[in-house]
Amino acid sequence: MPPPADDNHRRRKPTLNRRDLLHGRLWKLVRLPDRPSPVMRYPKTRDDVDNSASESKTAPPRSIGGIAIEPVRPTLFDESPPAKSFPIFRPPGAVEESQFLAGCTRCRDCSDACPHDAIVQAPERLGQVAGTPTIDADTNACLMCDGLPCITACKPGVLNHSLPKTIGTATITEHLCLAHHSTTCTVCSERCPTQGVIEVTDGKPTINEDQCTGCGVCRYVCPAPENAILLMPLFNRPSLPR
Amino acid sequence: MDSKRRGFLKSAAMAAAGSMVLGDATFSLPVLGAADAPTDGDALTWNKAPCRFCGTGCHVQVGVHEGRVVAVAGDKAADVNKGLLCVKGYHVGGILYGEDRLTKPLLRKDGKLVPIEWDEAIDIIAKRIMDAPEKFAFYGSGQWTIPEGYAAQKLMKGGLSNNHIDPNARLCMASAVTGFLATYGVDEPAGCYADLDACDVLITWGNNPAEMHPVLFSRVTDRRSRGEKVRIIDISTRRTRTTDAANDYLEMDPHGDVAIALGIMNQLIESNSYDKDFVEKHCAFRSPESESPTLQGQAISEDEFRKRIAAYTPERVEELSGVPADQIRMLGKLFGQRDLRITSLWCMGMNQHTMGTAINSLVHGVHLLSGHFGRPGDAPTSLTGQPSACGTVREVGTLAHALPGGRLVAKPDHRAQCEGFWNLPAGRINATPGYHTVKMFDQFTLPTDEGGDINTLFVQVTNPGQTLPNLNKLFNDKEKLKDKFLIVSEVYPTATTQLADLILPAALWVEKNGIYGNSERRTQQWFKMVDPPGEARDDTWMTIAIAHRLLELGHEGMKDKDGEFIFAVKDDQGQEIPIWEFEHYYDTNVDKHLFEEYRQFTTMKHKNLAPYDEYVKARGLRWPVVQQDDGSWRETKFRFAGFDDPFVAEGKEFDFYHSTSGDGRAQIWFHDYQPPPEVPDEEYPMWLCTGRVLEHWHTGTMTRRLPQLNRAMPTAYVEMNLQDALAQNIRQGETVLIESRRGTTELPVWIDGRGRPPRGTVFVPFFDETKLINNCTLDEHDPFSKQPDYKKCAVRVRKLNEASS
Repeated sequence: MPPPADDNHRRRKPTLNRRDLLHGRLWKLVRLPDRPSPVMRYPKTRDDVDNSASESKTAPPRSIGGIAIEPVRPTLFDESPPAKSFPIFRPPGAVEESQFLAGCTRCRDCSDACPHDAIVQAPERLGQVAGTPTIDADTNACLMCDGLPCITACKPGVLNHSLPKTIGTATITEHLCLAHHSTTCTVCSERCPTQGVIEVTDGKPTINEDQCTGCGVCRYVCPAPENAILLMPLFNRPSLPR
Repeated sequence: MDSKRRGFLKSAAMAAAGSMVLGDATFSLPVLGAADAPTDGDALTWNKAPCRFCGTGCHVQVGVHEGRVVAVAGDKAADVNKGLLCVKGYHVGGILYGEDRLTKPLLRKDGKLVPIEWDEAIDIIAKRIMDAPEKFAFYGSGQWTIPEGYAAQKLMKGGLSNNHIDPNARLCMASAVTGFLATYGVDEPAGCYADLDACDVLITWGNNPAEMHPVLFSRVTDRRSRGEKVRIIDISTRRTRTTDAANDYLEMDPHGDVAIALGIMNQLIESNSYDKDFVEKHCAFRSPESESPTLQGQAISEDEFRKRIAAYTPERVEELSGVPADQIRMLGKLFGQRDLRITSLWCMGMNQHTMGTAINSLVHGVHLLSGHFGRPGDAPTSLTGQPSACGTVREVGTLAHALPGGRLVAKPDHRAQCEGFWNLPAGRINATPGYHTVKMFDQFTLPTDEGGDINTLFVQVTNPGQTLPNLNKLFNDKEKLKDKFLIVSEVYPTATTQLADLILPAALWVEKNGIYGNSERRTQQWFKMVDPPGEARDDTWMTIAIAHRLLELGHEGMKDKDGEFIFAVKDDQGQEIPIWEFEHYYDTNVDKHLFEEYRQFTTMKHKNLAPYDEYVKARGLRWPVVQQDDGSWRETKFRFAGFDDPFVAEGKEFDFYHSTSGDGRAQIWFHDYQPPPEVPDEEYPMWLCTGRVLEHWHTGTMTRRLPQLNRAMPTAYVEMNLQDALAQNIRQGETVLIESRRGTTELPVWIDGRGRPPRGTVFVPFFDETKLINNCTLDEHDPFSKQPDYKKCAVRVRKLNEASS
């Protein structure tokens, strides 16, 4: 069996440094067969995105030898704790979840406006969320259409043209992706509606998570036996001034 | 390694398909019933089968639970795919369970299809044949299993003395056959897939293996990712996924391949870098006769060859092919380097070509002239598109002019041999070749009073209502002709069953026993694993049941010399088993009986097959398979080469033992370039090329019923160049009308999509039965192989609002 080609760690020749040798980490010399390199993935939040954008402009956090010496931010007891809610896919331009739940009238105007039947009502079992609009990419993905008629249709304004249109993030689970198993497959990159988000190098797709809108088209079209696209809704969305 | 880590590695490896951590006993990535992932001691039974789709011939492991296929995995023990599968392959189990499987014979009465019993269906067919045996035609397929094709062949040629039997493979690889015959005197590649593991240079001639034979292509790209250097040169009329991986992309005009091959030979001669020793010892030169050319051609001297090839200078080739002269010189130099190993791959680009035989012969000629032949990695190799185009069509010879084992109906000694094997009275086999595919459908759709002398057509395992070229001429006319009777054996409703008068529900893939033969001469066997749905039945059974009904009706052809039924199978006590009754069909292994009978035919052309039971044990064996002194059976990887081919005499380096000139030499052909039959003009300014896509197989009757594949590729489309689209103000995704002189179809536009055609060219895949591009294609065909050219004709693209005004 030819080892299905190249992650970087497999292309590299296995080597030992002195410390490895001292600790007896001889298994490092064994060339491991194809396996996913374990990656801890955290859901992306709106705050992360905002920080990363501003970070480049401001000075980096102070550090000595890689150890941060910025003072720890004091705990502010007068700040109200965030409302308890679980992440769910909302149509583009949705406000922060507690505002959304408070403002959404469950009128279904947004789902009626969706030309692709992508916006559906959250099922009963979801408690307080039931009846609010959501998107399930496994059934029908959001195509981020021109003009976003769902937002225009929203009378209470919990979908708002002034808010970012991102609804989540997609990542590729490499050990499920057929392109990472030596066969040709380029469907996700071809059908992604946002240009430049899914790039293919050496036949293997990677998702640029900063630009991904989370529309879920890639998950909808993925033909791998077990869907290789992991789709996560945004955890925190910006609020509108009350 | 502590046990926790080992546990992690194991689970990670389980999740990863094609991992080496676990032995052959377990398989990962089940397609269906993912929750029941196969583990040791689960309730699934696993068995091997070749994949149902293309000609690559990957093996899959099929997991069955309570009579249902619930999992499919790549077979790690298979040499072809080594555990790997393509996008389609992982889903192959799902093809059995589409919602609209046909489960009952259906007869058209007053325009409506009504269910009937099998007995009645068989009776209707037999009576129509009995009424006019010579007006019956059988249209089969490269997806026929070997026993299915063999039974059909025997019924037609041995029983009915009727040669009107032809397969869809006529549309697929007939020109590859004539190319091999003209060059080596015997069909099918000399090399095998192992060439892909050894070549330094891979040339894809109008071929897109990255999408169409992805598992084979990954054998090359995987070598690269292991650090080996393989140069891929893509010669094509448009950029494809193969181009993405290629080092060089040579964009040619349609038909330019002929000029390019001639140009390479010109350079080899000019620079005196051809392999003089090889040519002198093992080759001869040939060209077609100036009047009524044949496959045999006429011998020409080397001087004559030099004189003719001198006209194809790089500059002239640039004019004819559009490929810069420097690139032609580069190819010439490359072939002049003896230390390199060069493998050429081609499939439909060279076969669906009005000069198909010529270009096939010329590419063989390039390899022979340069001596790039007969070493691992040095080979001209044609690929097939269907799982048994080689095994069934080419070897069993289910063609209008052929008999089993490379024999021809026109040759008296070949007919006599077949009559001998079949124990038939002398003279039973008709000496006149029957109708080839295009002619067969021409005659079927022509009114009887205008000379259309085929009135009953039986179609098995294929979908001509979608795949024939120029459908309006060759198929759609049938609807008006009430005296013509179309019988279709199918698994799902298709474009063909739409016009059928009688539809027979068929068993599919692992619902029956079967044997396929793939592109590299590998014969592959599998067993029935699950029952077909409803009343669906085996195609071989249908053929035998019809034959037996004919026998009951008194057709003399259904008896052999001794008065026995031609398909008689006897048990150990010498009692005939009534295999024509379906409840008794599996009392014995009919496949095995037919295969053992067929084996006798294969030795004449040195395509020796092993006994059936050897194939049960193996993941296929490449013929010639010969028995060793110790009783074991040995397959052959490289034909005609002394180091591997058992039929090359001891001490000889090469022997083309079926040479058309009878002296052990292969023929290097010279063919002059001829322009394509239809070229774009003012009225129809664009080239149209048709083909396949990765996610769907052929007409999509199976793959379009798999939700995941259908989501990945939901519709046919027309690939356009951005500049052409801008010039006509056509937007991405807009539906346009494609028109040719023969028909029209509407398609959405895909600009800069998976394939990127140059200006003036559009590409349309043919899998979508709702958008039939074959309304537009041309029925012009190669003069030798009769294979039509689907790759080039003139069309125009119009915006819908312009077309309607």
